[in-house]
Amino acid sequence: MDFILNPFITVLTFLYSIFNQDMVLAIIVFTAMVRLLTYPLTAQQMKSARVMQELQPELKKLQEKYKNDREKLSQEQMRMYREYGINPLGGCLPLLIQFPILIGLYQSIIHALSANPLSLIDLSGRLLVPGLGDVIPLENRWLGMNLSQPPDFATGAIIGGTLIFLVVVTTWAQFKLTTVPVAPSDDGKPNPMAATQQTMGTIMPVMYGFFAISFSVGLSIYFIASNVIGIIQSVLMGKANFRNLLPGAAAAQPAITPRTATITTSVRPTDSRAAPRRNNGSRPNSLEAGVKTKAPPKPNKTTK
Amino acid sequence: MTVRRSHLFSRASSARFRLFFLVLALLLVGVGCSGLPLEASWASVSLYGDTNQIMFAYANQVSLIDPIDGSPSELRDSDGDVRLDDQGNARTWRVQVEGGTATTFYTRPVQADAETLLLTAHEHRILEVDAASARILNGEGTDIAKRVVASPVLNGNLLYVPFSDTTLAALDKDTLDPVWTLSTERGVWASPLLLEAEGLLVVPSMDHLLYAVNPETGAEIWRLDLGGAVASTPVFANGYLYVGSFGRKLFKISLNGEIMYEFATKEWLWGPPAVLENQIYVADLGGYVYALTDTGQSFTELWSRQVAQRGIRPTPLVLEDTLVVGSRDRFVYWISRETGEEQVKREMRGEVLADLLLLDPSQLPSLSESMVVVSTLAREELLVAFTLDDGERRWVYGQ
Repeated sequence: MDFILNPFITVLTFLYSIFNQDMVLAIIVFTAMVRLLTYPLTAQQMKSARVMQELQPELKKLQEKYKNDREKLSQEQMRMYREYGINPLGGCLPLLIQFPILIGLYQSIIHALSANPLSLIDLSGRLLVPGLGDVIPLENRWLGMNLSQPPDFATGAIIGGTLIFLVVVTTWAQFKLTTVPVAPSDDGKPNPMAATQQTMGTIMPVMYGFFAISFSVGLSIYFIASNVIGIIQSVLMGKANFRNLLPGAAAAQPAITPRTATITTSVRPTDSRAAPRRNNGSRPNSLEAGVKTKAPPKPNKTTK
Repeated sequence: MTVRRSHLFSRASSARFRLFFLVLALLLVGVGCSGLPLEASWASVSLYGDTNQIMFAYANQVSLIDPIDGSPSELRDSDGDVRLDDQGNARTWRVQVEGGTATTFYTRPVQADAETLLLTAHEHRILEVDAASARILNGEGTDIAKRVVASPVLNGNLLYVPFSDTTLAALDKDTLDPVWTLSTERGVWASPLLLEAEGLLVVPSMDHLLYAVNPETGAEIWRLDLGGAVASTPVFANGYLYVGSFGRKLFKISLNGEIMYEFATKEWLWGPPAVLENQIYVADLGGYVYALTDTGQSFTELWSRQVAQRGIRPTPLVLEDTLVVGSRDRFVYWISRETGEEQVKREMRGEVLADLLLLDPSQLPSLSESMVVVSTLAREELLVAFTLDDGERRWVYGQ
């Protein structure tokens, strides 16, 4: 991890030194820089996840069709992935690449805000630019809180509580804005996807709120900055749906509805990245696309 | 083209989703805890009492160790008999705070009076301990509000306590109430230096400043910017102060706060220098050791050498012909005072950060030879005694 961590700590310390020794500003700018650098991976991950989502009906059909022949099922699935030019791990790979970066970012904040001799002595060998040692130790107090410690509710209940509230709210908002809502099933049965989404929408903010209480205030700043930047990114990409923030959004607006809805989004031959390829590399038309489906007489719901 | 939609999340994908977040949560918790040391600082190792037992303070215990063989010192009654516990085992001198409140020690205990020791815990508490029985007298201790990583210093009725967040406070020794405080921008991570005859208390601070204050009132006499955090106690020798900083410089400073001259090192200076008349030995966090001569006009470098692959925090131990240094690279080195060439090195289980302790037969008549005691961060080698001449291991104290 040192090959990621040490440059990160150096950059964070450098930002601290140029931003008038303001650690909070340095964390925000640093988070923005990292999010910007990993934007291609984020975009690819989102796109890949969307394509995989859209192929789910067809994959489901294959599963039903070849439920007694696993080998054939596997071959057919791979054929479908090949035709659409996607890698089934395409959604995970960028995430895996981003993970060490996120861990590095997180650890660099903790290391840079060394609060005791052992962690500071560990920091001493990590700064790649010698002159940066002059600003060590970094100022870790902010609004009466120690950025390297968890919020102290005894001395700053309002600020600490506000910080945790912001972590929870921004995590929730980012999740809601960047997730396509799922409507309940038409047949009245519980929709597992909707249930999962609802559970995640609750668990994630609570989990990050727990982290904010348990870990350093600096990390909470990172969470908030990262969430806000994530929201801005999704707005700029046209993926944010602000109606999701309203109660009952899943039922009240167009959404992915299992078994009944139609897709008019990126899984189409004209989409250069989602369209299947022939063996010779050319892209087939819609009827050749390998996704043989019946369009319902009147598409009642669409997504864009 | 339009295609029919189906479940986007089958049960399997739902389970994968949950698994992903579980792994994410575990990783975040794991990553949050990994890579960073669990302890806040390193041990304090000093000699204590008439019998010169080793007082060892680290993590959750303060213990007395027999310098002869490294065994825990036994508790004895006024007749000199060993005290026994309920099971008939010999009781040892050890202070350990039981119960739910975390209490860790990195500082040297202070002898408040003949019967009482003051133990300053990192978790902003001072414990009063009966020296004879190692029994805590004031429950979970007196709350002093801020964390402490450097040893307090006693001056009459005043106890100077350096706080690791900010400020140094002079507390009344008996009541532990503050008498005066010195405000600093950052923490104080090294003990202050009391110069009683000169009427100065010199306080090193992580805010890059060296403060000199009146020891009785706390009134500031002068302050000096050393261009980097000052994490070590200044050494008073030859009528001057010698101190290094994270600004990668060693300074010679007069008692009226004037920098006489300085010497540039390659890395941060954390440990205090060893000053022997006009010879100065100092080590930096790049693993370099420097031998200097103080000519009265400047520092002149005799030699410098990268002895260790990682930083050297403790002050070099100066012997007749040899220097002994301990490093974060888990080695203890015996090097020539003349040239800096390595003579012997001994591998340790953990990083060496605490100052080395010299055991000399002149202090301890029961010792047959001089030894150096090295403390590491490894539990199995909390203390290791080596013979001074050839670095042969004599005993190990660990858990």
